[in-house]
Amino acid sequence: MDLAFTPEELAFRDEIRTWVHANLPKHISDKVHSAMRLTREDMQTWARILGKKGWLGYGWPKQFGGPGWTAVQKHLFEEECALAGAPRIVPFGPVMVAPVIMAFGNAEQQQRFLPGIASGEVWWSQGYSEPGSGSDLASVKTRAERKGDKYIVNGQKTWTTLGQYGEWIFCLVRTSTEGKPQTGISFLLVDMKSPGVTVRPIKLLDGECEVNEVWFDNVEVPAENLIGEENKGWTYAKHLLSHERTNIADVNRAKRELERLKRIAKAEGVWDDTRFRDEIAKLEVDIVALEMLVLRVLSAEKSGKNSLDIAGLLKIKGSEIQQRYTELMMQAAGPFALPFIFEAMEAGWQGNFPGGTVANAPLASNYFNMRKTTIYGGSNEVQRNIVSQTVLG
Amino acid sequence: MDFDFSEDQEQLRDAVRKWVDKGYDFERRRAIVNTGGFDRGVYTELAELGLTGLYVSEEHGGMGMGPVEAMIAMEELGRGIVLEPLAQTLIASAVLQTHAPADLQSSWLPRIAGGEAIVVLAHQERGARHHLDRCKVEAKEAGGQWTVSGTKSVVPVGDVADAFIVPALAGGQIALFLVERGATGVKTEGYVTQDGSRAAEVALSNSPAQLITRDGLTALQEAADIGSACICAEGVGVMDKTLAITAEYLNTRKQFGVVIASFQALRHRAADMKMQLELARSMSYYASLKLKMPEAERRQAMARARYQLGTSMRFVGQSAVQLHGGIGVTDEYIVSHYFKKLTQLEMTFGDTLHHLGEVSARMQDTAGVFA
Repeated sequence: MDLAFTPEELAFRDEIRTWVHANLPKHISDKVHSAMRLTREDMQTWARILGKKGWLGYGWPKQFGGPGWTAVQKHLFEEECALAGAPRIVPFGPVMVAPVIMAFGNAEQQQRFLPGIASGEVWWSQGYSEPGSGSDLASVKTRAERKGDKYIVNGQKTWTTLGQYGEWIFCLVRTSTEGKPQTGISFLLVDMKSPGVTVRPIKLLDGECEVNEVWFDNVEVPAENLIGEENKGWTYAKHLLSHERTNIADVNRAKRELERLKRIAKAEGVWDDTRFRDEIAKLEVDIVALEMLVLRVLSAEKSGKNSLDIAGLLKIKGSEIQQRYTELMMQAAGPFALPFIFEAMEAGWQGNFPGGTVANAPLASNYFNMRKTTIYGGSNEVQRNIVSQTVLG
Repeated sequence: MDFDFSEDQEQLRDAVRKWVDKGYDFERRRAIVNTGGFDRGVYTELAELGLTGLYVSEEHGGMGMGPVEAMIAMEELGRGIVLEPLAQTLIASAVLQTHAPADLQSSWLPRIAGGEAIVVLAHQERGARHHLDRCKVEAKEAGGQWTVSGTKSVVPVGDVADAFIVPALAGGQIALFLVERGATGVKTEGYVTQDGSRAAEVALSNSPAQLITRDGLTALQEAADIGSACICAEGVGVMDKTLAITAEYLNTRKQFGVVIASFQALRHRAADMKMQLELARSMSYYASLKLKMPEAERRQAMARARYQLGTSMRFVGQSAVQLHGGIGVTDEYIVSHYFKKLTQLEMTFGDTLHHLGEVSARMQDTAGVFA
C-alpha cells in the first residue's frame, strides 16, 4: 500500500503538464477558469491541438493510433488538462463512439471513422434519449427499416448535447419489435447532413441551448453504417456506458472549481464567515474522499486485483459535488449572482456588471445548468438501484 | 499509488478475522459487557495474536509493524465490535517508542508487547472538550522526583490499566508523564460507557510520575492522530459489518408478503449506506497512509478523514437501526450494539464538528489527496 505515485508516473505527469501549458491557448483557459461561454471554435481548437499530438483519443490503445496509456496515466492526463483550464473533451466521438467502433465495427468502418475522430475534425453527437425514453432507454422507438442496402430512419431523439454542431450522430434505433425491448435495438451511424435530419435547439433554464431535438424523417442511411449485427445494439451501448468509469466522477474538474470557489468566497467577503467557510470545508472533504475513491479504482485496474464495482457511487458522488460547488459559488455572490445579463458571459464583454465584478455573471446560470448532472447518464435514482443490487442482490 | 495489501498483510487480516469470528462471538461479548466491559483473558488473546506488540519494535519484543497493519487489525476488531482497547495499546507503544527515555522504553515496551502490561492515554479533562492544549493537571518536581495532581476523565479501562500516559502542566508547558495505577495518590472509579466498554475517572494526588517528554503537546497530538487513524479503521470495520447485518435482515424479513429488500425506499437507503461506507474506507486508507507525514500534512489529513468518518458512521448507524425497524432499537438484537459503537467512536478524539473546524481552519487555495 502506497499513496504516492511512482517516479515514472510523476515523470509522466510532468511531461503532460509541460506540454499542456505550452499548447493550451490562454484565451481558452481564461474562459474556462472564469466559466465564460465557450464557442464551438474554442472546443474544436483544443480538440485539434490534442488530435495533432495524438492525445484526443487519450484512452485509445496503440493499435488504433492512441497512446496506449494505463488507467493511472489517463487519470493524470485528465487531471493536468482540467487543472490547466482546458475545455472538457467533447466525449461523443473520442470517448463514446470510438471504443464501440473499435470493439464492434468492421475494419472498413474503423478506417473510415476513427481518423476523423482522432484528429478532432469531425463533430459527433449522441442519439440515445427520446421523448418517451429517458431512464428507460431500452424503450427507444426511432425506427430503422431495412430497404435493400439502406435503412430508412424515422423518429425523434432528444437531449442531444451540442447536437447543433454535430456532423455525425450515433443512434440507438429500433430494428425489431420482437422479444424483449433490449433485443430489437441496433447501433447506427448517421450523417447529420442527410436529407430528412432536422436539429432544433432546446433553450434550457439557464438561457443556453446546450441540447437539441433531432428529427429523422425518412432519412436514408447506408446499411454499411450499421455497427456490428442488427439487434445487438444494446450490448454495444452497454459497452460504451461501462467505458471510462472514473471519468464520470470528474474529480479533477471539481478540484479546479474548488479553487475557484475559494477565490469567489474571498472576493465576496464570505471566506472569513465561519458558517460559509465550513460549507466549503465540507465540500473539500467530499472532493478528497471522491479522489481517494477514484484512486482506489485506478489501483484496482492497475493490479487487476480487488476489482471495485463502484461506478454508480462515482457517478452519484461526482454529480452531487458538481452541483454543490456551483451552488456555493452562487451563494457566495448572493444578490450579485442575480442579474441575468446574457452577454456578460462572453469573454471580453465591456459593460458594467452590477456590483462591479463580472466574475459573478455566470454563477447562477452555472448553478441552474448543473441540475442536469444528477439526471443524465442514468439518473442518480437509477444509479442507486444499481448500487443497491451490489448490496442486496 | 497502490492500494493492494501484501500477502503478509492479508495473512494478518485473516488471522484477526478468524479470531473474531470464532473467539469473539456476540454472546461472549455480551457476557463481558455484563461483567464490566473488559476481559483480561481476551486481552491476552490479542497479545497471543501479536497485536499488542504490533507497533513495538522487534528489539523490544514486538512486531515493528506500521500504520497499514494497524489499520487492518483495527478494521477486523471493528467487525466484531471488540471491547478490549487495542487502539490504546497502539497509542501507548508509539508514544513511548518515539518520545520516552530509553529506560522507560525498556521497562514498559516488552511488557506492552507481551500483553502483560496495559498502558492507556489519560488526557481527557472536564472543560477541555476536544482541545489537547487545555490542561489543568499539574506536575511538580522535587528532589529529582516528579509528582502529578489533578483529575482525568473517561480514561479507557482506567481502573484496570497498569499505567497511564498523563499530560500535565510542568512550568506552564504540557509535558507527558507515565503514572502507574498502583502509585500512591492514584484513585480510580470505573464504569461502563455507552458502547459497553470500560472507562474510569482517574484522580491523581501528588502521585509519583516519570517524565516521558517535555514536548508534551507534540507527542499528545501524535497520540491523538494515531487514535484518529485507529477510529477511522475501526469505524470502517464496524460499518462494514453493520451494512452486512442490515443487508441480511432486509433479505430475510417479510412484510406485505415479500422480503422488504424488494422495496425501493429501503434499497436506496442501503445504497446510500454503501456510499458512506466506501467514502469512509477511502478516507481511512488516506488517514493511515498520511500518519507518518510531517505534522501539518498529517493534521490536515486526520481532520478530513475524521469529518468523513463521523458523517459516515452516524449515517450508517442510524440507517441500520431505521432499516431494521422495531428490532433495531432492542438490546437483544445485535445491530443496536453496532450503532452504539459507531456513536461512541464518532465522539472520541474530537467529534465531527471539531474536525470540521480543523479542516476549515487549515484550508489552502488548492486541495486534494496530495495537498
